[in-house]
Amino acid sequence: MYEVLMFDGGVYRINELYELVEDIGGFVIQKTQLQVAITVTIAIPSEDRPIIESKTKELGGKLVEVPLAGTEIAVVAPTLGRHHMPHPVCDIAEHLRRYGAITVVMGLARGKGRETAQITADEMAFIEEYDAAIFVLGNFADCIMKEKVRLFEDIEVPVIVVCGPNISSLPNCEAVVCGVGRKAERMRHADEIAKLEETALAVEAAIFKRRNIIDEDPLCVHPAEVKQRVDELESVRQSLRPSPVVLHLDGLRVKVPYDQCKDMLRDIDIFGRKLGDLTTIAPSRLGGSTMIRILTTAQLQTRDNAQSSS
Amino acid sequence: MNISVKGTEEYGNQSYADLFRRILVDLGLANRVEEARIVILPEKPLFLISVRTRKARTTVKLDDIASVEEKGDNTYLNITNESYAPVLLANLWKRFGRERIEQLSRLEVLCHGIKPDLLKAIELDPGQELKKELLDALWRLMPEGFKVHHTLSSETVMTIAATEHVMTDEMILMAKQMQGDMETSTITEEESMPEDEESEEEDG
Repeated sequence: MYEVLMFDGGVYRINELYELVEDIGGFVIQKTQLQVAITVTIAIPSEDRPIIESKTKELGGKLVEVPLAGTEIAVVAPTLGRHHMPHPVCDIAEHLRRYGAITVVMGLARGKGRETAQITADEMAFIEEYDAAIFVLGNFADCIMKEKVRLFEDIEVPVIVVCGPNISSLPNCEAVVCGVGRKAERMRHADEIAKLEETALAVEAAIFKRRNIIDEDPLCVHPAEVKQRVDELESVRQSLRPSPVVLHLDGLRVKVPYDQCKDMLRDIDIFGRKLGDLTTIAPSRLGGSTMIRILTTAQLQTRDNAQSSS
Repeated sequence: MNISVKGTEEYGNQSYADLFRRILVDLGLANRVEEARIVILPEKPLFLISVRTRKARTTVKLDDIASVEEKGDNTYLNITNESYAPVLLANLWKRFGRERIEQLSRLEVLCHGIKPDLLKAIELDPGQELKKELLDALWRLMPEGFKVHHTLSSETVMTIAATEHVMTDEMILMAKQMQGDMETSTITEEESMPEDEESEEEDG
């Protein structure tokens, strides 16, 4: 079982950490360097945590728990207008990054208004590419309970609603975080930070639940193992986009164009098999990206049986 | 500044009062607004806001805020009252275009090919600027999807009713009543009758 942790320290002797992680059979998920400071998200076997802890101490860094590492989360606002951005949408997105998640902020094209608020099938499909979605709504219970619930009723990934009024529950969502609503300034007061924490915990619970569901029929290969192989591709190495490979709970997003790289991706060798056999590879709705969904053990067995019988 | 919000939802009322206060502070209008009354009825839906501002400074002529000097075909302006500088520049750019108005330094302006008489005739109305800024604040506050507006405005009071689909007579009546109430409190203070102008706009 892998454990995801974040090293927060300096660049001095950082290669020693990378080598140690590799030696114990772990993976480096993400590196973010700011001059001489660096944060490294790593996935390591749980039993080897003390080794990494002692190395971290030796390097003068600290090890932080990142429960949302290896997930990509969409924070959705009704529109991209200044009524919703940058606060509180960006505050929530930024706070979730502290928990290790990669977050994406998006606004709906026709999400404004009360009865006129809409979400398109395209937008829903886009949101469903992520591990979870947070809908940031407004200040009126009447509007949210009667109209805005339509926005996320058909979305299949876990949805967390962040809103102003005190609403105990809403249909088709995992959790409701109340007391946020519209903001004209940054969420920096103690009570507001508590709300950001509450949101992060709600997302964490939803992700934990989804991880448990996935564990019932585990993936045939861990996404971090696939990432390690994908990282070696020349087109990925040359990609200038931030985080060219993003881990998901059940796969990964590779920020290279599907048309140009699909064959290269399919031919990657994973434990003696081709990546194309173990996953479904499809173009992402995020321009110039490719989605890789890893098959579960049962799905792989079914696929193998079907191929051997035909 | 007194902001009162009436509506069917307590949380929404309180948060809109806070939001408006914050917006006014951000735009530097907090000490220009005397009173604001807001009515929010999400079930109708109706958003109604009426704001009374302090009286703006009176209209000034360009001669009063800058020295005007003819230099050949051009005119040289030296702004003596700094607080009017941004408004004056914006006005000159709008009137004559950026290529003819050259800002030499913070308070010096060279107007190419413009005679002093033409410049001296310019009048600046800070009240108009205040209205523009106030309108910006109201736009920021109003729910984004409420695109049907009915606006009432007088010298110091501005009232906007906003809804999503159809502006009913009842809503307009409420807006007029609120505008009247706000103006009445102005009259007792200033003993003067503001002039009425009415407009209605619909977009989206």
